[in-house]
This record gives sequence, C-alpha cells and structure tokens, in this order.
Amino acid sequence: MSDDRFDAIIVGGGIAGTVTAYLLAKEGLEVMLVERGNYAGSKNVTGGRIYSHSLEKIMPGFAQEAPVERKITREKISLMTEESNVTVEFSSTRLGEQGSDSYSVLRGVFDQWLASKAEDAGVQMVTGIRVDDLIVREGKVCGVIAGEDELEANVTILADGVNSLLAQKLGYRGELAPHQVAVGVKEIIELSAEVIDNRFNCREGEGTSWLFAGIPSAGKVGGGFLYTNKTSISLGVVSTLSELIKANKTLPQMLEDFKSHPSIEPLLKGGKMMEYSGHLVPEGGFHMVPKIIGDGVLVVGDAAGFCINLGYAVRGMDFAVGSAECAAKAVLKANKAQDFSAGFLQCYQSFLDESFVMKDLKHYRNFPHFLEETPRIFNGYPGMAADIMTDLFVVTGNPPQPMMKMMMKHVKNMGMLNIAKDGWKGVRSL
Amino acid sequence: MNIITCFKVVPEEQDITVKPNRDISFEKAPMTISAYDLNCIEAGTQLAEANGGNVIGISVGAKKIDDSKLKKNVLSRGPESIFMVADDKLENIDTYQTANALKAVAEKIKDYDLILCGEGSADLYAQQVGPQLGQLLSLPAINSVSKITLADGKAIVERTLENELETLEISLPAVISVTSDINLPRIPSMKQILAAGKKSATIWSAEDAGIGNLSATLGVIETKAPEQMDRKKDIVQGDSEEAIKSFITKIQEVLK
Ligand SMILES: Cc1cc2nc3c(=O)[nH]c(=O)nc-3n(C[C@H](O)[C@H](O)[C@H](O)COP(=O)(O)OP(=O)(O)OC[C@H]3O[C@@H](n4cnc5c(N)ncnc54)[C@H](O)[C@@H]3O)c2cc1C
Repeated sequence: MSDDRFDAIIVGGGIAGTVTAYLLAKEGLEVMLVERGNYAGSKNVTGGRIYSHSLEKIMPGFAQEAPVERKITREKISLMTEESNVTVEFSSTRLGEQGSDSYSVLRGVFDQWLASKAEDAGVQMVTGIRVDDLIVREGKVCGVIAGEDELEANVTILADGVNSLLAQKLGYRGELAPHQVAVGVKEIIELSAEVIDNRFNCREGEGTSWLFAGIPSAGKVGGGFLYTNKTSISLGVVSTLSELIKANKTLPQMLEDFKSHPSIEPLLKGGKMMEYSGHLVPEGGFHMVPKIIGDGVLVVGDAAGFCINLGYAVRGMDFAVGSAECAAKAVLKANKAQDFSAGFLQCYQSFLDESFVMKDLKHYRNFPHFLEETPRIFNGYPGMAADIMTDLFVVTGNPPQPMMKMMMKHVKNMGMLNIAKDGWKGVRSL
Repeated sequence: MNIITCFKVVPEEQDITVKPNRDISFEKAPMTISAYDLNCIEAGTQLAEANGGNVIGISVGAKKIDDSKLKKNVLSRGPESIFMVADDKLENIDTYQTANALKAVAEKIKDYDLILCGEGSADLYAQQVGPQLGQLLSLPAINSVSKITLADGKAIVERTLENELETLEISLPAVISVTSDINLPRIPSMKQILAAGKKSATIWSAEDAGIGNLSATLGVIETKAPEQMDRKKDIVQGDSEEAIKSFITKIQEVLK
C-alpha cells in the first residue's frame, strides 16, 4: 500500500469513528482516523451514560478496563416545578447485571481510551486536523482533503457528528432544521467520591442517573439531567431548538436556575465547576435518518442521525457503537469482494435493519413528535404532581379532604380526557 | 547540515490545578512540548528547509517524557528523528545537569553543525541550559536570538535588545537560544502527522548515555500556589445610573 492510500479513512474520533476504525484495523485493514480536536474526545459532549450492551459485544468486559465512572444502579425521574420536585426512584441489582448494565462516562477520557484501543489495533491516528472536504470523482468518494493535503482510500466513513458538514457537502442531507435538533448545555462539578456516595446514597463505584421534566427546560420540550461520576457530577439541560425560540429564558439561564433549584443546590454544595460545554443533539430519530450510503462512503453515529431524544434523556452512544459495528461489517465484506460501490455497500443498511439500531429507532419513531405535540408533559403534569403532593403533605390546620376527592380536583383541572389521551398517545408512540 | 533542536517536556499548563491546601497538582496534566521549544524546533526546520539538511530533536528527563503522542507531535513538526534520555534518575535535575545530559546526547550523535535551544522553558524559564551547554561543549553560545541566517560555516544572528538590534556573526558549530519572536510555529498538516508515525525515536537510559552517575541535586520541599484573595462577593446588579455609580464608588473605596 502506498503512503497516501488507505483501505479506509474515518472522519471523526468520537465513539462511532473510533469503534469503526478499531474493528477494521483489527481485521488487518490499513486505516487512518482523522479527528479535528487535539485528542479524541476533546470536543465531545454527552450527558453521561452509556448502555454497555453494544460495546460489550465488541470488547467483552470493557467496563473492567475502560475509564468508566460509576455503574448506574439507581434511577430517578422527577417532575419539577419552580418550588417543588416529585421524584420516582428505582434501585435494583438488576440494573447492574451484565448485558443490561450502564455506566456514567466522561467523554474526554473515555474517547481517548477507545482511541488508544484503535491505535493499538493498528489505526493511524491523526489528531488536530479538520477534514475540509472529500475527494469526489464521478460521484464516487475517493478520500479526504485537509488543507493542502489529499489522501485516498477505498472507502471513507463519515463519523463527524450531528452537524456533519461532509454529509451536507455530498448532498446527503440539508442543513439541520430547528425541529431536528436539540441543544444541550452541561457542567461538570467536582466533589469528592465520599461526598457523592453520601449525598446520592450510592455504594462505592455505583451511581445515580436522574432525569427531570418540567421547569429545567422552562416547561418546554426538553429536560434536566444529572449523572454521578467518580469524583464529579455531570448536570445539564437539553432543549429542542424549535422550542427554545419560544421559551422566555436562554439555555444557560435554564441551567443556572436548575442548579439553584432548592432540590439541587444542596447536592452541589462545595463543588467546583470543572468544565462547561454545549452541544447539539440530533433528535428527529427514525424520520431524520438521511442518505447514509454512497459510492465509496458510509455515514455512522450522530452524523447519520442515530440518536433518540426522549425529551429528558438522550440515547446516542450505544447507537454510535451499533452503527459502527454494522459499517465495519459492511466494509470488511466489501473489502473481500473489492467492491465499494453504493450497490454493494447496501449491505450496511441490511446489517442496520437486523440490529437494534434500526429496530429501536423504529420503535421510538413517533416519540419525538408525541413530545412536541404534548406540551402538558413539560408544563402541566409537573405542576399537577406537585399540587397533589402539596395537598397530601402540607398541613395547615384547615380541614383535610378525602384523598380521592383531593386528587380528582387536580386531575379535573388538567382534564380527565387530556390525561387519557396523552397516556394513550404516549403508550402508542412507544 | 545537521541541526539539533533541544526540547523540554513539561506538564500541560492549562491542566495544572491548585488544590484547596494550595498544593499544585499535575495529576490531570498530560506531558507536552515546552512552548518556547516549539519556536526552537520550527527555527531548525526552517533552516533545514532553506539550506538543506537534517533536523534532530533531543530531550532529557524522567521516564515519563518517553510518550508516544508527544514524540509524534515533535516529529510532525520537521525533525527526522528523536534521541532521548528518559530515566527517572533525571527527575528534578538542575539546569547544569540538564546541560550535561544534553551534551552526552549531542556527543553520541557526534555529527552536528548547529544546536538550537529555546530561550527558556515554559515551566521554570531559567534561561540557563543553552549557554551552559555551549560552555560544556566548548562551542560559541549565544542567546536571545530572533533571527538566524546561515552562510558557509557561520551563522548571522540578530538579537533584539532593549534599544537596538544587534547583528552578530558566529562560527559553526554553535549553540543558539532563540526567542519566541523568531517565528510562528507551524500547525502540522495531515500528511506530516501521518509521516511522523513512521519516523524513528531512540530512547536511552542514563546508563546508555554514559551519565549513569548523575543524580538529582535538587530536592523539592514544597511547591505552593500563591494565597488567593477572598472574593468580596459583592454583586451590583443592573445597568441603571445608580448601579453604575455604586459600582464605581465600591471600586474607588477598594483602591483607596
Ligand atoms: C447534552 C447531551 C447529553 C447526551 N446524553 C447522552 C446519554 O446520556 N447517553 C447517550 O447514549 N447519549 C447521549 N447523548 C448523545 C451522544 O453523546 C451522541 O449520540 C454521541 O456522542 C455520538 O457519537 P458520534 O461518535 O457519532 O459523534 P461525536 O461524539 O459528536 O463525534 C464526532 C467527532 O467528529 C469530529 N469531527 C467533526 N467534524 C470533523 C471534521 N470535519 N474533521 C475531523 N473531525 C471532525 C468531532 O471533533 C468529534 O470528535 C447526549 C448528547 C448531548 C449533547
């Protein structure tokens, strides 16, 4: 193989890119990965939790070796209003069982670890370089262009994230529309492991995932999240872009208010802010998947729109891994046949269809729409839950009402029919 | 023409943290090339590009300086090869010992016409190593150089002094320390980074380099960050006339 020619060039050193590169190099292909950040993960933001099932298949037992933060064994969901917070909590050893376990992660370290795995497998890592364009000849993608340099490959894999300019340049997708993306802002706040164990009632090495609907995103589609890491807390707010325009607050202000909410503030006390970041989240789900296969090119991860935004929780990292695995399988097959045409690479689509990636995206396909059509989830139900709890627990000396009657008062305010309708629509979209 | 460029490996400045007890923590700081030595490597590379020749990067320090990312970084900036003494015996050595260790490396390389150093290091900025290295090698040594031109067997250098520009001619081989004004270090290109992966790096222990009896003369008792002033946490809100006035009054009071 000449110096300037590879079997595969991968653009983007996030989870999707590093895993694709790793899988190809492991099978002996000549692979180069180009990442614009100074190291893999340097530009990447995630809320914080990776479901292990997909990576476990590729690197069995990875969680023992990888720099994961805490194993999530406690799930909390809250409906939050300005002054109240109603929380449902679930803790179970089943959450931590192999195969269904999940971990909080910090991408700065996690992606670097994945990149080192890829490098050990033989991937040529080129960091600090942005790919500006693709070499395209007669509709076939033949490699990448960065500055003055051009390098060629049989196949180029775009793993360049949610705002894939390269896929746009190929005409595979248009510019992102406001209803297709959400924006997230996040802080990492340092606290000692002991303080975190105590405040979140966690055993050593175990942690909490906590999602919030309601006031964190100013009553619009979105929500707040909090994940415990080893010695820090990741917390942030996600809001759909189209909703953000209508909100009366900016996103950074939402995060500030979330942090100073009476239920959150004591949890952060004494903590030191280590990192502040903002990032886009693809959120159109199944309906947003653009063209992902062409002559000599495949698109994976966020760049392909493989992400589900459930309003308060985002799931994209396991899809990044899953799509990387499908792409690697397709490229290995194409390499054997030495046929990198779009026609042959269609097997990528078949692998995706058979995998959890497409199955899950399809399953949740109406969910983003449901959220947008059902503002009550964000601006109605949190208030209702808080009102019911207030009546239950706030003792004023006034004569109490029978519980059923009291509850029904609040339910009626919301409209019985509305609740039934939302419930029905919600269940159907799942 | 063989040009040796010396570089120091230091902890990444922006990742050094101060602990509540004012201890300095390097825990999260990866190893990086001392910023001024980027100018040094660039100067060597530009001279080789203009005059033909070969650039060699050399460094001495503790075992941790032998870092694959860091070596690739150096090699993507022009040098064809790296020679290092990476040995924990060299932790906490002073500038004279550093110059001695660099001398050992240079003597092992033997064939060189010019040695370049950065003016000082990003961590301690003692500005000693270049001049001391020249003295140890019995070569002309000159510092604060902001421009180098080569002409047969000699270098014409410019030094920017307080009120004038001094131009000197020195015979080669020589040791020259360059300031950060000399150039703007390049951002390596994709192909340069790729090529760096294929270049060679030779790592020696202190024994290998013939400086096995060198031991640190410096012991660090304590390094503390300066005491931080307590913030007054006095926040003036709004942009009304009064708010601005109160803001100014407060500042004036403190300045009194
Ligand atoms: C606030 C927030 C919370 C989230 N929470 C979760 C969660 O809890 N769980 C979960 O599973 N998912 C979560 N997600 C989604 C998840 O982070 C993404 O789906 C995942 O990061 C996608 O990985 P990727 O490799 O496809 O893309 P990215 O991680 O975005 O990686 C793309 C890479 O490409 C590089 N790049 C881009 N353009 C170029 C170019 N031209 N040249 C070279 N390099 C380039 C970038 O620097 C980057 O490193 C969250 C996302 C956000 C923003």
